[in-house]
Amino acid sequence: MTDDNLELDQLFAQARQQRPALPDDLAVRIQTDAEAVRLNRMKPAPGPRPALLERLVRNLGGWQGLSGLVAASAAGVWIGFSAPAFLPDPVNLLTSQETAYFVADLGYDTSFLEITE
Amino acid sequence: MEDLTSHPQDARGAMSSAGTLSDDELLGRFADGNAEAARVLTDRLGPRCYSVALRMLGNRAEAEDVTQEAMMRLWQLAPDWVSGQAKVSTWLYRVTLNLCVDLRRKKTPDRLSDVPEPEDGKASVVDRMQDQARKDALQVALAELPERQRQAVVLRHIEELPNPEIAGIMGISVEAVESLTARGKRSLAAILAGRREELGYDNDG
Repeated sequence: MTDDNLELDQLFAQARQQRPALPDDLAVRIQTDAEAVRLNRMKPAPGPRPALLERLVRNLGGWQGLSGLVAASAAGVWIGFSAPAFLPDPVNLLTSQETAYFVADLGYDTSFLEITE
Repeated sequence: MEDLTSHPQDARGAMSSAGTLSDDELLGRFADGNAEAARVLTDRLGPRCYSVALRMLGNRAEAEDVTQEAMMRLWQLAPDWVSGQAKVSTWLYRVTLNLCVDLRRKKTPDRLSDVPEPEDGKASVVDRMQDQARKDALQVALAELPERQRQAVVLRHIEELPNPEIAGIMGISVEAVESLTARGKRSLAAILAGRREELGYDNDG
């Protein structure tokens, strides 16, 4: 058992002497990680997620885009109520009823008349 | 160190003195955005981390991955590190050991597939084992120890850490460390005695 312990102590001593150096490529990888973490930390932190209305406005082209949209909508409503003269009156278009007369409704006599004419 | 205590301001100001700072201070500097601090910490702690991982795993590629991951966790932890509460090296050893345990646990189900198939029968396996045993009898014997015994023996007899620090790393009492290292040494001696006869590496070792 003493011999075994002696051998073991020798093996430990050998292992201590042969402690491995950090491989160069590993040192580079570790440094690359450190640098990435460092640079990432130096970036300003992203703010909270914008509210729904703000995201909607941004998607529509910001406040400028939105004001254009509002102006176009208002013009559409105005034209709807008070159309310029060269446009047909939209209210009339919706409410007027066209009367159609069909010759066939008048019956046999009319067709006879047409033929005799 | 004397320079640091007598002229703390100078030491803090000069980049060349980074090597004299404690691990704690270097980690604080890294958290403040100092790249040089990371280089000094890598030189100082990287080899220890790698050495332990290599002894625990017996595989260079795996030891490299564990070392990189342990150091990565150190970089990420830096801003939250509370100076003076624990030693950075103690924390790093613990993380390294835990990563080694995780890796081995993940590997266990397909461990058999890691052993290359012998090309021409039994002889080549024995040859390979003899070759490896001759190269590093200690590593082969260490691999047979239970996890905790192996950790304690590696930290005590190869890393030469004091028992109280090992106790801190492993989260156990100093007495438990002493017990684990004693049992580990006895097991190693028995394994080596058995191997010596089995593999005959005494003849031409």
